[in-house]
Amino acid sequence: MLAAIILFPFICAIILACCGNKISPQTGWFVLPIPILLFVYFLCQIPAVAAGTGASCSWPFLPQLGIDFSLALNGVSLIFALLISGVGVLICCYSQGYLTHKENLTTYYCLLLFFMGAMLGVVVSRNLMVLYLFWELTSFTSFLLIGFWHQRPQARYGAQKALFITVCGGFCLFAAFVLLYTVSGTLDIETLIQQKEQIIHSSAYIPILILIIVGAFTKSAQIPFHIWLPDAMEAPTPISCFLHSATMVKAGIYLLLIMTPLFGDNTLWFASLSLFGLCSLIFGAFQALKQTDLKGILAYSTISQLGLIVSLIGFGSQASLTAALFHIVNHATFKGSLFLVVGMIDHSCGTRDIRRLGGLAKVMPRTAVLAACGCLAMAGLPPFNGFLSKELFFSSAIEAVTANLAFLGPVAWLVPALAVLGSVFTFTYCLLILFRVFTGALPTDLPQIPHEPKAVMLLPSAILASFTLIIAFFPNLLAKYLLTPALNGLLEKTVVIRISFWHGFNLTLLLTIIVFLLGFMLFKAWPKARKYFFSLPKRFSMNAIYDQLIPGNGLIAQAKKTTDLYMTRRLQDYVALNLLFFLILTLGSVLLGADKLYLLQGTTPVSLFECLWALCIIAAAIGIVKSKRRLPAILCLGVVGYSVSFYFVVFCAPDLALTQLLIETISLALFLLAFRHLPLSFADKPQSRRRKTVNLFISIFTGCCISLLVLIGMANRFYPSISEYYIENAQTLAGGANIVNVILVDFRGLDTMGEISVIAIAAIGVFSLIGLALSKPLNRKGGDDQ
Amino acid sequence: MEILMAIVIGALFTAGTYLLLSRTFLRILLGISLTSHGVLLLLIAMGKLKNGVAPILHEYAASSYVDPLPQALILTAIVIGFGVTAFIIVLCYRTYQVLGNDDTEICRGIENE
Amino acid sequence: MSSNQVLSPQLIPWITAVLLLFTYRRVRWQRILSGVSAIVAVANAIYLLYCVLTNGTLVFWAGDWLPPFGITMVVDTFAAILVLLTALIGASCIFYSFSHIDMQREKYFYYFLIQMMLVGCNGAFIAGDIFNLYVWFEILLISSYVLLALGGEKKQLRETLTYVVLNVLASSFFLVGLGLLYAATGTLNMADLAIKLPQIENQSLINLISVIFLFVFGSKAAIFPLFYWLPHSYAQPPAAISAIFGGLLTKVGVYCLIRTFTLMFIGDSTFIYTLLFVLGILTMVLGGLGAICQYQFRKILSFHIISQVGYMLIGLAMHTTLTIAAAMYFMFHNIIVKTSLFYFAGATEEISGTGDLRQMGGLIHRFPVLAWGFFLGGVSLAGVPPFSGFFAKLLMLQGAAEIGQGWAMFFILAVGFLTLFSMIKIFMYCYWGQEKTLAVISTSGYRRKLISPWLLVMLSLVVGFASTPIIEVVLRAAAEISDPNLYIQAVFSKIN
Repeated sequence: MLAAIILFPFICAIILACCGNKISPQTGWFVLPIPILLFVYFLCQIPAVAAGTGASCSWPFLPQLGIDFSLALNGVSLIFALLISGVGVLICCYSQGYLTHKENLTTYYCLLLFFMGAMLGVVVSRNLMVLYLFWELTSFTSFLLIGFWHQRPQARYGAQKALFITVCGGFCLFAAFVLLYTVSGTLDIETLIQQKEQIIHSSAYIPILILIIVGAFTKSAQIPFHIWLPDAMEAPTPISCFLHSATMVKAGIYLLLIMTPLFGDNTLWFASLSLFGLCSLIFGAFQALKQTDLKGILAYSTISQLGLIVSLIGFGSQASLTAALFHIVNHATFKGSLFLVVGMIDHSCGTRDIRRLGGLAKVMPRTAVLAACGCLAMAGLPPFNGFLSKELFFSSAIEAVTANLAFLGPVAWLVPALAVLGSVFTFTYCLLILFRVFTGALPTDLPQIPHEPKAVMLLPSAILASFTLIIAFFPNLLAKYLLTPALNGLLEKTVVIRISFWHGFNLTLLLTIIVFLLGFMLFKAWPKARKYFFSLPKRFSMNAIYDQLIPGNGLIAQAKKTTDLYMTRRLQDYVALNLLFFLILTLGSVLLGADKLYLLQGTTPVSLFECLWALCIIAAAIGIVKSKRRLPAILCLGVVGYSVSFYFVVFCAPDLALTQLLIETISLALFLLAFRHLPLSFADKPQSRRRKTVNLFISIFTGCCISLLVLIGMANRFYPSISEYYIENAQTLAGGANIVNVILVDFRGLDTMGEISVIAIAAIGVFSLIGLALSKPLNRKGGDDQ
Repeated sequence: MEILMAIVIGALFTAGTYLLLSRTFLRILLGISLTSHGVLLLLIAMGKLKNGVAPILHEYAASSYVDPLPQALILTAIVIGFGVTAFIIVLCYRTYQVLGNDDTEICRGIENE
Repeated sequence: MSSNQVLSPQLIPWITAVLLLFTYRRVRWQRILSGVSAIVAVANAIYLLYCVLTNGTLVFWAGDWLPPFGITMVVDTFAAILVLLTALIGASCIFYSFSHIDMQREKYFYYFLIQMMLVGCNGAFIAGDIFNLYVWFEILLISSYVLLALGGEKKQLRETLTYVVLNVLASSFFLVGLGLLYAATGTLNMADLAIKLPQIENQSLINLISVIFLFVFGSKAAIFPLFYWLPHSYAQPPAAISAIFGGLLTKVGVYCLIRTFTLMFIGDSTFIYTLLFVLGILTMVLGGLGAICQYQFRKILSFHIISQVGYMLIGLAMHTTLTIAAAMYFMFHNIIVKTSLFYFAGATEEISGTGDLRQMGGLIHRFPVLAWGFFLGGVSLAGVPPFSGFFAKLLMLQGAAEIGQGWAMFFILAVGFLTLFSMIKIFMYCYWGQEKTLAVISTSGYRRKLISPWLLVMLSLVVGFASTPIIEVVLRAAAEISDPNLYIQAVFSKIN
């Protein structure tokens, strides 16, 4: 059943891809039931999961490599699954109003469904490799969705950036999972946790840990891999809401959560998570303040909020994990609703530039209310759910000082301090959004006249906004049905969670009040304080590195330089390099085995005549090289060829000698024929002196090397030849006296068949080369055509 | 004899590769021819260079014939080599006709084609 | 197991080729004949694979001569799979050519040459005799020379000479190596060599011979310093020809490397495997780097052939059963996907009238089937799950991890990124963006050209989903190849 549920969106997507054009532009309504169905299914699973008997299924896929296609619902995955399918419903509904009918709706909804399926797959897979499969799928659908409006260069840029960074992270995960399998022999998450001891003591433990952190950070846009998220905002707003705020970016968080049992007690693990999480929290909030694009603010705010969750996971206590899970849900509600609000503003005003907007509360009152809910919840004001998670965050931070981060000593107090700083920034930008956009005078120069959006768009946003209140008032409902089972699964013990508004007067409350005060002051002083913020370096350097590397063609330029070094497109360079490699290989291995190679073992006598003939060959060869005209060169070649056939006579090979004579004659004739049409000169084209010397050296070395090989070959024989068999049996078995001929036509007849085929192909090649000319031949005296 | 053969083969390869390293079509072609001659001699040298009798059966003892197998191989190699050479000759001719030059520099082409 | 069936992958294209000579200039007949023969070849190859899987290695002793003396042909699992893929690629190429190759080339023996190339490929895969291998190689090469030059266009001729000269050079050294091998062992039969070579105490000579063969097969396989002939020449002829070249030719070289370095040259393994490993890494990286800086559609693909050969090489170099299986899986995956990508390239170039990415754009608006097909093929090449490329990479990584080869893991993933980079680059330049002027205005004919490549992409997907049995087979092939005795026993099982 579970497998069917996961496959369901994929199947629907494929069906949609095949016949989508028939139902366009009503595609959205046809798609809407799919996430509803999924959502209902997951809702029905709540009691079962709470009881520890969530649906599961498994069948072997690649048992040789430990890959089973196993899926299961547990507490953590159920939270995510509900988020994915629930927000998915709203997004489908919203998109119907957001996208015009001219857009390619089929592609859009197909990708949306693919993404939904993949994301559900990530959170329900129990096998790491299956998780990786779905993980990559989310990266690619995200790429395609960011690039949905690919006519815009910025969309292409953002899509590419998101893909490259998340896929690099994906590769890290891939490596980590392979290493985990090598160490433990399993990829099943439960079994891995059982084999924790074995994994901890392996040498690959730290590399695995780092690779997993990197993988998760790239997906969840944590420093220093956060740079893709702001650029991903080129996607249609519902996509930004769904992928880049509510679900996909939380896949990294999900991974960190499920890996907590495995790595949770490692110092490196919680130190790096806390550190990078807090950095992202502050940096994201700080950057959000400086943005002018509403979606840009939300993007940085997402980085910052995700940083908060990551640092909570890093603190590693029961309370902090509770807070993390709680905030995952909360963040989806308020950030989701804010994104949808921004989409509506963009849709109705035609701009999302905060400097151009203002006074929208008058014309879009309903939107303004929703925005207020979202902003105040994000700022952490009561009575919204953001307040609750902020309280939990502060208390966990304080707790961590004496618990997991105690090894830092007094420095650990920086943690709550940083948390406060981040929250101050958050508070400020939330107020900024709310007041800059909705209060003040309505500008007159907006691209469109603002109006209240359609109900299909308002409704999803309203639902999410109402959840910010519902959760705030009934947090323990959530805690009981979703958080407790999840936490039980993570900590492998039974815990009871209670979340309440009032904890009494304590440090946490003090911190909250500080945040409100400082935040409000910063908001008030913003027009003046603004310039100090911008005096700081505008761009974080990671972006500069990426831009240098990929769109700035840094990588390409380097690659081109390297490639041009050897791909000179000069034949003689290639030949020279090939020969050099040959020389290195052969001479190298001769030198390595020099002590064991014989050079000469007994010589056969040589007559003066043979010596003279050898001189003759050598002279002819030199003659060819030296010759300046073609005729003497070809004649010299003839001399060499006929001399070779003389040697065949010397070596008692009459058949060879005859064949060689014949073939040599034909070749010469061919040469003469063809070169009637080639230039008269045989001189080489000018080459530099240095080049000529190099050529000479290469060829002399090759010659010497070949001589050496000949000597080695003749001197090192280890077995008698199989030809004794031919000599003995040619007459009796094959019925021929000329052994060479018998070998050719009988013992090794297939070679001869091949040889004839070669000749046939060559003949046809010659024929078609001469016969077929799609480029017109130039006039023979014609010059260079370039 | 062994040393002599080694020298001859080496010389053929030296001249052949030197020609291969030039820029003119015809020189490259002759380079290919010279190296293939060198290869033929190398192959026959790899059978034993004993002064036996030609491998055509008579009443001699089996050990007195020269090794027939390399000869068979060479025969195949000669024919194949001829086919390839003939094709290359025509290819060079054709290339020269179409491109109007017998310089390999012309084979560099233009960057984006 | 002896069987005449072993010869069938050779005979079917060979007989077709001969028949095609008789239908010279009758294009209709040529098409029908080639089409029928392609289907027969695929069916036959499937049957052959089935027989090998059920009966074990099949051997054919030509002329019924005793093993080391006559020529043997051997089909084990590895060879059988490659024969099947050759038949598939051959068929896809022939069917693609119907709508792609111009009539003039068809008249000038195009189909004949394709068939002869298939003869050469299959021959190289099943040859059990090293000189016989040389002969098949030559058939393969000369048909590739002719195919490359067929049509005599300027750009073709320009690249053909480079291609021919470098390959002829390698062929000469093939004979040199062969001569030395014969001198040392007095035999040419590969099984016999497999017995004799490891027994020789003086392994330095064997190393010397093996590096010559490394050079020879390496230049056919386009490994690191020997691949100059490949990238530019593959971008020139019609796409159907570059597709079959890109899919098959280098793989023949890789096959021979795997075969010889697991069967024959195994005496002094550290020397040769270290060398192979270093060369493999360099091939991967340089191929990948070469690809990302190109702006010609097919040149990008061609450079990636090189980088993928590097993967196969390091798989061989790490020489565990798992990594060899990975190398094989890579070959199979690459043959399928690379060919399909070349077809997509051909269709794209025809539509946009140029091979230059910078002059293309926005094809996805009017040619979505083409664009999505390429996208799927591209991500499959980049090794994204659940396509076949992912499983190839998974096997390779797993193999590397098991022997603690951290560097290999790093390069496998880094080069995977380079592949993805260039595939996405092509996708963004060609298919995304504003629509630019097109050479072809009618969109009606192009769908027919997409049948072959889409089928291949789907095959890649199926191979990915059905990897359970396929990895089973590949592991079996790797296990067979890791144990030379099986091969030797099969060949010498003949008793007169």
